[in-house]
Amino acid sequence: MTTGTDTYRRELVQALRLRDVAPERIGDIVAEVESHVAETGEDPREAFGPARDYAASVTQPRSRGSWVSFRALIVLSAVCGWLISRGVFGLVRGEPLHGLPAGVVLGIGWLLWVPPVLAQARRNAPVPDPRTGRRLTPGRARVVLVMTVFLAALMALTWLLALLTV
Amino acid sequence: MSAEPWPAEWLRATLPLSVLAVVAEEETYGYAIAQRLQAAGLGTIKGGTLYPVLNRLEQDGLVTSSWRAGAAGPGRKFFTVTADGRAHLTERVAAWHTFTERAAGLLPSVGSPR
Repeated sequence: MTTGTDTYRRELVQALRLRDVAPERIGDIVAEVESHVAETGEDPREAFGPARDYAASVTQPRSRGSWVSFRALIVLSAVCGWLISRGVFGLVRGEPLHGLPAGVVLGIGWLLWVPPVLAQARRNAPVPDPRTGRRLTPGRARVVLVMTVFLAALMALTWLLALLTV
Repeated sequence: MSAEPWPAEWLRATLPLSVLAVVAEEETYGYAIAQRLQAAGLGTIKGGTLYPVLNRLEQDGLVTSSWRAGAAGPGRKFFTVTADGRAHLTERVAAWHTFTERAAGLLPSVGSPR
């Protein structure tokens, strides 16, 4: 598989997941694209247009509920990042925050990260390839790992910044 | 023969029935359908136009599909017309001919603009 097809696959899977399409249906749509361009020799973007537009043309419009929950998760993630950075600075400076020990604030930040991780894990169910029965995408464990490592790295960076500025 | 490409709105109107007609001729797959449409003079039909049409025909129960391994290379998704698809085609073909004849009746003949 070429890099162009690889990239297009990733973009298309992501666009379809954002539209809450079932994993089996995503696998079917992706396989149609790859099977077609393998025969024509075209670049998938040239044959099917931008992945986001193609995803919109083969699925129903996103429901209002889906938009609301997506935005709620973004807000929750932002709150979580804010709590963690405040918690880290509080710990380094030895100051409580709003009457709470800084460690508790940090803990609340990590707890609030759980719903976004679970939501992403749910959304990233493995996509089966109808041609082979194998997976087209990595499993849920990788999403959980990537998101956890991301938050830990963010915390470590904040800690470093706090140490340098105190 | 007119110069390609045909206006997009003409293709949008005719593609569902044309694609259904091609599938009704014999069980076939996307790339072969695109080639058949091109050979018939409808121009190059991109995958991004063809597959949404095939998907809608399948959702409407007019065709069914199944994946099969290719002799060499990737698998192919084959489309087969259903009994409802055949009935729909028969009914719509008659209506389409009536429609195009009436529309053509309104148009001036080629080379003699009114």
